Amino acid sequence: MFDVISSTLPFLLDGLWMTFKISLITIFLGSLIGVVVGMLRTLDYAVITYPLAAYIHALRGTPFLIHLYLVYFMLPATGISWLQFEAFPAAVIALSLYTSTYVAEIVRAAIEAVPSGQTEAARSTGMTALQCMWHVVLPQAVKMMIPPMGGVYVIIIKGTSIVSVIGIAELVRAGEHATQRHPKELMVIYGMTALLYFAYCYPVLRIARWAETKFGSVRLPS
Amino acid sequence: MTNETPIVVVKDICKTFNIPGRPPVHALRNVSNHVAKGEVLVVIGPSGSGKSTFLRALNGLETIDSGSIVIDGVELTAAKANLNLLRQGVGMVFQHFNLFQHKTALENLTMPQTVVLKRSQSEADEIGRRLLDRVGIGDKDDSYPSELSGGQQQRVAIARSLAMNPKVMLFDEATSALDPETVGGVLDLMKELATEGTTMVVVTHEMGFAREAADRVTFMDGGEIIEEGTPDTVFDDPRHERTRSFLSQII
Ligand SMILES: Nc1ncnc2c1ncn2[C@@H]1O[C@H](COP(=O)(O)OP(=O)(O)O)[C@@H](O)[C@H]1O
Ligand SMILES: [Mg+2]
Repeated sequence: MFDVISSTLPFLLDGLWMTFKISLITIFLGSLIGVVVGMLRTLDYAVITYPLAAYIHALRGTPFLIHLYLVYFMLPATGISWLQFEAFPAAVIALSLYTSTYVAEIVRAAIEAVPSGQTEAARSTGMTALQCMWHVVLPQAVKMMIPPMGGVYVIIIKGTSIVSVIGIAELVRAGEHATQRHPKELMVIYGMTALLYFAYCYPVLRIARWAETKFGSVRLPS
Repeated sequence: MTNETPIVVVKDICKTFNIPGRPPVHALRNVSNHVAKGEVLVVIGPSGSGKSTFLRALNGLETIDSGSIVIDGVELTAAKANLNLLRQGVGMVFQHFNLFQHKTALENLTMPQTVVLKRSQSEADEIGRRLLDRVGIGDKDDSYPSELSGGQQQRVAIARSLAMNPKVMLFDEATSALDPETVGGVLDLMKELATEGTTMVVVTHEMGFAREAADRVTFMDGGEIIEEGTPDTVFDDPRHERTRSFLSQII
């Protein structure tokens, strides 16, 4: 058994590294897009909010695998040169857009959960809408975003396994390769794979937990 | 007082709330009023009579359908680009305090000063500490709103408005959410501000305060101004039946 572990671990670590890269880039880009989309959705302008609502519902209402195939197989089929993607960028694009829809909903819900009295007080001191958002609403909303955001990030990390279908050698795919070489050691190999995911995801949840206590829960007006 | 141009001039303002599927609510019907420099106007009336809508219209928190509001010579309805500037000059104290929950008492006072008035941090700190002293809670500078009593929170809120050097202060039922034993202290503070010459528009159910501090009392009902005059005439010799029945219920 130790033979199996020592001979497959390097491959699995390579897979973990790929999972790590894809998920980090995805979380970064997805959060960036999501925060902007989520903030814009709280505005009062239908010209902005309706298209963004359509974007979010379209992506959330369809399977991720379809998004991935769309970006990797169908966009290149249009023949337009800048829509030709290798597997890695295709995976990052599809996953980032998918992530952004979940982040956007968290951001919007958190912003809307800040009591309107906070905005009214800020505006009545003469703050602009932007100053109010930056100095009053966001700092309070961020605290409410942290716990659900940690949850989404972990789901995204585990969800990266699906990009193996377009040939990316991430952790699950590395594990499958290993099982082909050691077909009798399925338990050991999948056990190692699961442990590696856990070693990555658990700290993320702990950090979210830590951030939540550090920044405190939100103090609502009595 | 009367030969000066008033700080606030309100002319024929109307506001209707239209909620789909419900009959429209006429919150303000042709309301006109004015507040001179240093004057204390107290607005009374039953719940739902439009008092809050009137106050909120004065600092642009509520848009109006027609009519005009002029604050210190600037037309509020025409000055869309200047609305933020205009609001600086109109302080607002809310029933539920609305302190910034993520800031300490002192930071509640300094943050708007540095962000809006671009005062330096040290200048804002100095003004902030002086005003916390002024409202009687100089020792609470480091406390968060959740650590303060209602009365203390309302004092911070009043100080936060004063820090912006407003031309006029609006109070919307500032003591309605307070415990009975803290109401008196906050009312005393408001009376002090009044005698110091602060221009104030006060919506309140505290008739004792109105009688003592008001230069003029306005009674509203159903979105209209029914009656107005000095506290003595409105309280002791009301001309309208609606005023009489309201006063008999509340006193
Ligand atoms: N945002 C709003 N949407 C719909 N109706 C409102 C809104 N604000 C106030 N109203 C209605 O306008 C009327 C006047 O309200 P308000 O000015 O709050 O009265 P008051 O402060 O005298 O109790 C009430 O009938 C109230 O229900
Ligand atoms: Mg009211």
